[in-house]
Amino acid sequence: MSGATSLPAGFEALEPFVADWALKGMARRAERRETSSEAERVAFFTAAKDLAGPALARLDEKPLAGLDEKERRLMDLMLGFAHVALAVEMQGDDEPKHARAARHLRITRAPADVGF
Amino acid sequence: MNVHVSHYMQPTREAAAELGTGPIPAAPYYREEFFELEREAIFKRVWLNIGHVCEIPEPGSFIVRPLEVARASILITHGKDGRIRAFHNVCTHRGTQLTKEPCGKRASFTCPYHGWTFNYDGELRAAPDFDRFFVDDKAALALPPVAVDVCAGLLFVNLDPHPQQGLREYLGPLAEQLEARAVAKATTFSEYVYEIEGNWKVTYDNFQENYHLRFVHPRSGHGAAGPENPFGYPARYGLHGLHRTQTIWTNPDPQPRPMQVLAFGAGTRSSIERGFPPTANDREYFGLFPNFFLLSNPNQHFSHTVYPLSASRSRGVIRLYWIGDDSKASERFFREYSTATARDVHCEDVAIIEAVQRGLNSGALEQIHYQANEVLCRHLFKGVSEMVQAYQADNAQKGAA
Repeated sequence: MSGATSLPAGFEALEPFVADWALKGMARRAERRETSSEAERVAFFTAAKDLAGPALARLDEKPLAGLDEKERRLMDLMLGFAHVALAVEMQGDDEPKHARAARHLRITRAPADVGF
Repeated sequence: MNVHVSHYMQPTREAAAELGTGPIPAAPYYREEFFELEREAIFKRVWLNIGHVCEIPEPGSFIVRPLEVARASILITHGKDGRIRAFHNVCTHRGTQLTKEPCGKRASFTCPYHGWTFNYDGELRAAPDFDRFFVDDKAALALPPVAVDVCAGLLFVNLDPHPQQGLREYLGPLAEQLEARAVAKATTFSEYVYEIEGNWKVTYDNFQENYHLRFVHPRSGHGAAGPENPFGYPARYGLHGLHRTQTIWTNPDPQPRPMQVLAFGAGTRSSIERGFPPTANDREYFGLFPNFFLLSNPNQHFSHTVYPLSASRSRGVIRLYWIGDDSKASERFFREYSTATARDVHCEDVAIIEAVQRGLNSGALEQIHYQANEVLCRHLFKGVSEMVQAYQADNAQKGAA
């Protein structure tokens, strides 16, 4: 997707993270966090932390059902960011140990996975 | 954000003494014989949370839930007449489990073995070649009913064919308090599940004392403790018959991380828009006997049920209840973040609970010890112990008669 913009205008800086982090399903997003490297997490967190607020404000301008393809991708990316933010801000270098424990708790349902 | 309860009170020695202060026998936390007594004396006699009405929203909806502790599978239906009913998921012909589907919507249930078909009210509607049977009365072949009732949208069942109390009486004044919480209006939920090598009381007790917070949750527990309350002990405890409550202490200076502010700020706005603004009661944490918790904070409005599987194994089901489908992006982000936050805390408890269980299983200890701030663990044991003793006395009396 080089040169392409798969996200709404203004969020181009997050383009390198779309393939890895804009995933469908809370369980998949949690698993991505739990199997990521520290470098991956820090890179995504650093790029997204100041854009998360503006991204949610932008998406809040429409009802969820009215989001276009790029906006939906940005929504999924922000949901992935929710997990990475917890790993970086709360767990820090404890994250590898924490990730092993998290796998004991199987996510079976999330509102984001039901409808749109 | 939340209304702060900045004061922090230790339970008095007098209050603690009401429940006794001595050591507790260790055997009930791992011995198979005691678990068998609990199965009969408690889990087949009291009201047990099994779900929420939002799972059976319309006539024809049903759920099926295992209750391994009673070796039972329970079918709960929402009838066309609007009534919620519960049955043993057992065909009355020869005992086959009627349906394997965990949930769905159906007009009737047909046994896969010989095609007996039952209505939502449990009535046997059709049985192939029924004339060959030596039973004339189809009504006597209805599905075995199970007592079911609802409080605050929460579904409870009681496996006693003749429950000693209705659900409202069982819950006492807590029923009204629960009805005022957001769970009563919930229409959906997030859920995660764990299975653990832990006795149900060992597992449950972990979640009703904060003594362990600073050791087991040094990072995820950030903000739950502070200089004036380094262990993050509750602000208040309440004992209500078999049930109990605690008021979670609120750190006046929690120093939230930037993304916590973003997510929970969105959560607070969502709570206000949904009609459940922050109140002074948001820090109440309900412990309903025997195995159910509900935290009433709208930002993390979670229930946690610990289902016993054996003397040393349990399954935990944790749900964060929400009112309405995700309305907008920031609400969806908040719900994902809030659920992941709760899961981050709970996952850290699994290994330590299993370590407790391995130690107890060794039989090395005859007794365990609870300090004053583990009063709720002591209170659970008191309730369990009294019910088991009453059951044994009842059996002895019947044997003597």
